[in-house]
Amino acid sequence: MNQVTKGWDDEEVLAALQQALRAQRAVPPEFIEAGKNAFAWRNIDAELAQLTYDSTLDPALELSLRAEAASIRALTFTSAHLTIELEVAQDSLLGQIIPAQPATIKIQPREDVERELVTDEIGCFSIHPIPVGQFRMRCHAASGVDAITGWITL
Amino acid sequence: MRDDPSVIALVARVGDGDQEAWDELVERYAPLVWSICVRYRLSRQDIDDVGQSVWLLLVEQIGRLREPAALPGWLATTTRHECLRVLRAERRYDHEGLPPDDQMPPDPFATMIEQEVIVAERNAALRAAFAELPQPCRRLLSLLMSDPPPAYAEVSARLGVAIGSIGPTRARCLDRLRRSPHLAAVLGDQAGDGIEVDDIEVKEPRGEPGD
Repeated sequence: MNQVTKGWDDEEVLAALQQALRAQRAVPPEFIEAGKNAFAWRNIDAELAQLTYDSTLDPALELSLRAEAASIRALTFTSAHLTIELEVAQDSLLGQIIPAQPATIKIQPREDVERELVTDEIGCFSIHPIPVGQFRMRCHAASGVDAITGWITL
Repeated sequence: MRDDPSVIALVARVGDGDQEAWDELVERYAPLVWSICVRYRLSRQDIDDVGQSVWLLLVEQIGRLREPAALPGWLATTTRHECLRVLRAERRYDHEGLPPDDQMPPDPFATMIEQEVIVAERNAALRAAFAELPQPCRRLLSLLMSDPPPAYAEVSARLGVAIGSIGPTRARCLDRLRRSPHLAAVLGDQAGDGIEVDDIEVKEPRGEPGD
């Protein structure tokens, strides 16, 4: 161990320490806080459905949408066995789960009470009004698949 | 990289449901996740998205991690995959011919990831070693590391110590830092390298992945 540290003089060790502390300060506290909060999910026995498409972030659509009066935002969440597609309409949130099947959907706002709804036979649903603030969706499909999205803000 | 016993202990505690251990783990590795996202030049919103996925996946997987010491590598690889996922979601790369990332040819970022893991481990070890120094040492070193570095006369006035004692105390504190067991675990592989400050700087990537 002495061999390792002998090559490291005072200036080097101080500079390295400075960099280490700087790298830590570069990380916003909210980022770390969000990471800590993730632990609350440890007992949730559901597949994570991740955002795999967001129309507002699609530059190919940006131009064509700009010309339209009512642009529709589309989001896709994908877990290992389930896809949830969402479209933000004027006053409601329209969705469908794929593969098509009935499911129970829970809307879990971060700062509001949970809402629950049942899709139709082919997995279509409509949420009215549109959730305000951060929320996540948990979906129990008839096939037995249980998926949960990350936090969504519309 | 050698196994860091403190990481192994942390992972075991997290497996038992210890929130404090989890918090410590997040604090230790958030800079690694963050710096990789910065390398991929993600927006702040995308970095938050990647961060969320990485931590949730870790919560899900941590009980199944066969080698807790491999955690930093796992985190780095997962962060990279998540960065690529976000970039795909934005640009629909998957519809434009970019292969799934497990079939991607080796890209320059792969080397970057390895480098980030080494740097992050070294930084985490340095911070852990620093946190265990006696308080007077931490105060002195913190002051000496401020930018611009203060003159010894100012240090003397701020800390109420004799100017002549600052140099020797600094040397003693740094020596103590160097001898910390935290550093022994991480520096093992780098005996020959020496530590170049340039290696530690997080640089902006020049090109974007897939370009």
